[in-house]
Amino acid sequence: MKPLPLRFRQLPSGLLLFVDDAGGFFTSTPEFLERYALGTLKDSDCSFLLEDGHAYEKQDDAAYTAFAFRWAGRRSTRRTLDYAILVPTLRCDLTCGYCQVSRAPAHARQFDWSDDVCGRVLDHLDRHAADQIKIEFQGGEPMLRLDLLERVRTFCRQRFSLSQFVVCTNLQSVSPEAWDFLEADDTFVSTSLDGDIATHRRQRTKSAEATSMFFSNLDEALRRLGVGKVSALPTIDIDNPPDPASLIEAFEARGLTSISLRPTNHQGFARRKPAAPGSSRRWNAYHSDFVETLIRRNFASGRRTEEYYLSHCLRRVLRLGADRDVDLRNPSAFGMDYVVIDHDGLIYPTDEARMLARIGMIDLSIGSVVEGLDAEKVATLNAAALNDFEPDCVHCAFQPFCGSDPIDNISRCGRIDAPKADEWFCRRQTSVFDKVFELLYRSDEATRFSLAAWLDVPDWPAYGAAVHA
Amino acid sequence: MIPLSIKATAPAGDPFVVRLSLESGGAVGNAGSHDEREAWVASRSDGTTLCRTAGGMDFALAGVDPNEIEGDVLLVVPSRGLAHRLIRARSSHNTFLVTERCDQLCVMCSQPPKARHVDMFPYLEAAALLAPQGARIGLSGGEPTLYKDQLLGFLERTAEARPDLSFHILSNAQHLEAADLPRLQRLRHVPILWGVPLYAGRADVHDSVVGKAGAHRRTIESLALLCRAGAAVELRTVLLKENLVELPALARLIAARLPFIDVWAIMQLENIGFGRKNWDGLFVDNSLRFSEIAEALSYARSRGIETLLYNFPLCTVPERYRRFAPRTISDWKQRYLEGCEGCAERRRCCGFFEWYPEGRGFAGVTRL
Repeated sequence: MKPLPLRFRQLPSGLLLFVDDAGGFFTSTPEFLERYALGTLKDSDCSFLLEDGHAYEKQDDAAYTAFAFRWAGRRSTRRTLDYAILVPTLRCDLTCGYCQVSRAPAHARQFDWSDDVCGRVLDHLDRHAADQIKIEFQGGEPMLRLDLLERVRTFCRQRFSLSQFVVCTNLQSVSPEAWDFLEADDTFVSTSLDGDIATHRRQRTKSAEATSMFFSNLDEALRRLGVGKVSALPTIDIDNPPDPASLIEAFEARGLTSISLRPTNHQGFARRKPAAPGSSRRWNAYHSDFVETLIRRNFASGRRTEEYYLSHCLRRVLRLGADRDVDLRNPSAFGMDYVVIDHDGLIYPTDEARMLARIGMIDLSIGSVVEGLDAEKVATLNAAALNDFEPDCVHCAFQPFCGSDPIDNISRCGRIDAPKADEWFCRRQTSVFDKVFELLYRSDEATRFSLAAWLDVPDWPAYGAAVHA
Repeated sequence: MIPLSIKATAPAGDPFVVRLSLESGGAVGNAGSHDEREAWVASRSDGTTLCRTAGGMDFALAGVDPNEIEGDVLLVVPSRGLAHRLIRARSSHNTFLVTERCDQLCVMCSQPPKARHVDMFPYLEAAALLAPQGARIGLSGGEPTLYKDQLLGFLERTAEARPDLSFHILSNAQHLEAADLPRLQRLRHVPILWGVPLYAGRADVHDSVVGKAGAHRRTIESLALLCRAGAAVELRTVLLKENLVELPALARLIAARLPFIDVWAIMQLENIGFGRKNWDGLFVDNSLRFSEIAEALSYARSRGIETLLYNFPLCTVPERYRRFAPRTISDWKQRYLEGCEGCAERRRCCGFFEWYPEGRGFAGVTRL
C-alpha cells in the first residue's frame, strides 16, 4: 500500500485535520500523524487510508485513478470566454461613500461607450466566446444606458445558443421601458441591500426620498420578476456592521434566501479611507457570528437561508468542479473564460483590477476591444494564478479547496508575491475554511439542518465527515 | 402491457429487418436511408395488416393497429411466425437483447441466463441504422460484453453512420481489460452510458449477490478502466435485504474511489425472473425502512455524486427524498394500481412494474 501525501492542520480539539492533495479529508490523532510520518502505520491505518481514498495499491488501480480524477477535478480548466462583465457607462445617480466600482456623476460626459466602442465590444464577444454567454452589466448604473443594454442583448440572443443577462443596478429609478427590459426570461437583477432601512439609507441612499424609492422598486422587482430572478448583496462596513439578525431579517422578509456578505471593498473609492488595523480579524469574527446566527435561525424557522460565500466554500470542500465563482478557483486564470470591458473599451482581468486602474494606482488592463488581449500581460498575471507551488500554500491543508487573488495582493501590499499570512485573501480563506470544517464535524441538529440546506441534500448524515480513530 | 412482438406471416426464408410506414413513400424524410429495408402497409382488413417491402415481398401482421406501430423497426422471423418490434418509434425505451448468456447468476436476475446464444448482431445493426432521429438504444442481456468484439464493432460502425444516436449498455463489466482501452477511448465522444451493477462496498456481499467469486474486484478494476477511457458510467445498485445495511458504506466507497461515475442509481427490485422466485428473501420495503437509503443518498449527493432512486413509487419515499425518484420504469412494463387513481403525484411517479405483487409489496402505498 502506498499512502498519498497528506497535509495537516491542528484543530482546537487537539485532533488534526488531514487533507490529501485532491481534497479528501479526515480527522485523526497526533499519534496517527507520528505513525504516518515515521512509516509505522498499523494495519487499521492502512485499511482506513485505502478505503477512504488516501492510498493505493498499484498504479492505475481504482484508488489511483479516483485520486487522479479528483485532483484534476479540482483544477479550474475553463479557457473559453463565456462570462463578460460589461460597463456601458461609468455614470451613476448615487454617491455611496465606499463606492465599489468608482463612478462618474450622472450628467458627466465621456463616461459611456461610444457607438464605435459598443460595436467593437460585440465584435470581441463574437470572436472570442464559444456558444454560450453570461453577461453582467455593471457600472456606474447600467440602466442609465438601456439602449446599449438592449443592443448587447439583441446581439447575444442571436449569436449564442444560450445567453443570460444580469443587470447590476441600484434600482433607484426604473422607467417603464426598464421594467419591460428586466421582465425577459433570460434577464436577471442584482442589486445592493445593506440591511434594514436605516442602514441602507446611511450607507447608500442618504435621503428619505431616495431610500423609499429604492425599497419600493426592490419590492416591485420581486413582485414582477419573482424572487428567483432577483439577487441582492449587502455591503458591510467592518467598522460599523449591522446586527446579523436584523440583516437576515431584511432579506428573509423579502423571500431572499441567499446573502452574500461583502466587506467594504478595498479597491475603488473605498480605498481612499484606510482600513482600520485588525480589520481582517474583525471581519472574520463578524462572518463567523453571522453564520452561527443563520444556523440558529434556520433551525428555528425551517428556512434554508445561506451566507453565499460560506456555503460556496463548503461545496468546494466536498465537491469537485465548484469553480464557477471566479473569485475562488485554482488556477485563478485571468483573461480566459471571463473578462471585464470598461466604458472606454479597455479590458481588465477582474472588476477589482478595473478599480485599481480607475483610482490611478496601477494599470492592470490586459488589452482593449481595439487592440485585443495583450498576451504578455495576461501571462505575467497568470504566473501568479496557481496556488499549487506557492511556498506558503504547499503545506496548507486548505490548498486543494482554495484559490489565489494576485489582484488583491497588488492592491493591498503593492506586490504580487507578499507572504500569504499577510494577505487579506489568505486570512479570510483560512478563517472561512476553519469555519467550514468546524461545522462539518459538529453533530448538533441545528448545524446539520443548515449543512443539509446549504448542500441541497435532504439530510446531513450523522457521520458525514470521516474520522480515523 | 405494450406488446413487443406481433404475430406475423411471411414467406419461408431468413429473418429480415424492415421499417414500417403507413403508405408507400412514407419513409421519405426518415432517419437513415436504407430503401431496401423500407416496408409499408398495402391493405388492412379484419385485424390483418398486409405489408409490402421495397423488394416486393409481402408479409402480414395480425392483431395490431398499424397506426400504433408506424415507424417501428421490425425483425420478421418467418419460421416462428413473429415480428419483433426491435425499435418502437414512439418509445424512449428500446433495448436490444444481445445475448441470453451470462457469467454471473444474480439472486434477483430479471432475465435469468440461458446457455444458448443466437448471434443477433447483424439484425441489431440493421435496425439501429433505421432508428428514429436522436433515438437512444439500450443494449442488454445476458451479458453483452461476452461478445465484446462484436459489441464494440457494432458501436463503432453505428455511431459512425448515425451520430445522432445514443446508447445505454447494461454490463457487469467483468470482461473489459486494459487491452480494450484504445478502442474504448476512441468511443469517448459517442454518447454511451455504461450501466454497471455494484451491490456493496464489501467484496463478499457483492460476490454472493452475483454468484461469482472475485466479481467485485473485477468490477472495480473495470470501472477504473472506463474512467480512463473517458466513458460515462451509471452505477446500479439493486436494493436487497442482503445489501441494505451496506448502502452507507457503499456511498463512501463511491465518493472515495469511484467519484468519476455520472450517476448512482439505487434501484427497487423487479418481481420477475429470480426476483420473483426469491422475492420474500430479497425485497426491502422502503416504505417501512428508509434510513440506510437516506444516509447513502444524502452522503453521496453531499459529495456531488448524482444519486437517484430508480423504480421507487413516490408514496413509498419520504417526502424530502421524492425529488430524487424519477419516472424510471420502462413504458412497456409499467402500470399504476387501482389506488393510484386520483393521486396528485401520479404524473411524476414511476408507478409499479407490470408484475408487481400486490399484497406482498410495499406496506405504505397511498394516494398523495
